Amino acid sequence: MRLEARHYTFIGLAVTVVAAMLVGFQPDVTPSPDTLRMYEYIDSLPEGSIVMLSFDHEASSLPEIRPLAVALLRHIYSKNLRPVGVALLAEGTGVGYGLMRQVAREYDKKYGEDYVYLGFRPQYIAAILSMGESVPATFPEDYLGRPYTELPMLVGVNTYDDVAGVISVADGSFTNHWIEYGHGRYGVRVSAFVTAAMVTTYDPYLASGQLHAMVGGLRGAAEYEKLIGIGGSGARGMLAQTCSHLYVILLIIIGNVVYFRSRRKGGGV
Amino acid sequence: MKRRVPQLVCGAFGLLLFALYFSSHPGARALNGLILNEYWQIIFGFALLVGVLSFAKVNLKSIERGEDLPYRIVSLLGLLIMPVLAVIWGIKGDSPFMWIFDNVQVPMQSTVFALLAFFVASASYRGFRARSVPAAILLASALLTLLSRSDVGGFLSQHLPDIADWVRNYPSMSARRAILIGIGLGSLTTSLRVIIGIERTWLGGDRA
Repeated sequence: MRLEARHYTFIGLAVTVVAAMLVGFQPDVTPSPDTLRMYEYIDSLPEGSIVMLSFDHEASSLPEIRPLAVALLRHIYSKNLRPVGVALLAEGTGVGYGLMRQVAREYDKKYGEDYVYLGFRPQYIAAILSMGESVPATFPEDYLGRPYTELPMLVGVNTYDDVAGVISVADGSFTNHWIEYGHGRYGVRVSAFVTAAMVTTYDPYLASGQLHAMVGGLRGAAEYEKLIGIGGSGARGMLAQTCSHLYVILLIIIGNVVYFRSRRKGGGV
Repeated sequence: MKRRVPQLVCGAFGLLLFALYFSSHPGARALNGLILNEYWQIIFGFALLVGVLSFAKVNLKSIERGEDLPYRIVSLLGLLIMPVLAVIWGIKGDSPFMWIFDNVQVPMQSTVFALLAFFVASASYRGFRARSVPAAILLASALLTLLSRSDVGGFLSQHLPDIADWVRNYPSMSARRAILIGIGLGSLTTSLRVIIGIERTWLGGDRA
């Protein structure tokens, strides 16, 4: 097989990322105002507050979502807040439970008392609106099949009025639905941990205050890890991300040099 | 008649849900809860059934014709095996269902998603060129954003991240807002047209 230009770009990217991961150097990141705002928001919640975490993502974005979710959960557990997990996408269900349980073990948290996972409910808009009417009616049982009424942590938690806020961990437009229906109809405070590709989508909502705070992408995860003082896969992946960004910039420059040289010669590319 | 009845049902439910969304009357709230918790789930169940049957039909037809045999067989096996595992051992914690999800679906989807990076690299070399003034502006914005999101931006110039933030907070956000407002107005208009009965394409054409 004859290698073409695109094959060399593929090989170059693979070599760049693998080499960066092998080096093991973690560049220092400065937390952005957006990340700082989220950190201060979580930090300001009184001990014991109930926070609803919504795992609104697919399995494909897990390499970016996992560092974000783990950093968030570490902060939540270390502040003795009590998270209630839900999932609006079926694929996020098992992932959300696994992450909550994994980080809970680090902090010796007990299921049912310190954290609860309610699981997946189909029809995301209906689920968001329905929880505004009644959380126990929407989730009569938790993910493990225990009746809602038998979970000590959820005594007195009936609607969004009884939670400090909703944090959507998302890789797509699901945070939109939380903003439009959860915040718009029931006034619940919505924040988000999203993949980098979604950051500009939510910028207008953040600026208008409909979205309270937002942390975005692997860089956001690295910044959050720095703020909570516990390193993780966000910081570990930053060098690979930086190197791949530089590689793409280099390719853009080379591509344009080739283009302008060929144009000067009168040819087209 | 065949079209008039669904149109009336659609209009009536559209108006009812519209009223329930804004009403704070206890009776309206209770009805809203009932519709959200029971009726929407029934509709979802039927929609899912249609999707599963359609998926099975398409794949079976392809198998009959001998097209893409290995892929079609794997697809159908997945469709059969996952529900069977879920029914027998459940979908929680350490069940076989979750094992397949964690060890097959997650790596496969992550791999496909990661391939995007290679396409971006290839596209950045072959397609991202300053062929015109608008293309050059787009290119400059992309370079600024890339530099600012890596750690190199601040190293090259202290103003670089600020300029990238300005691009994100003003031109980019203005465009995004315009799109959002456009989508909102479009959704509102379409919903009204469906409720009132002007828009009938969802019935399969304009032959009322």
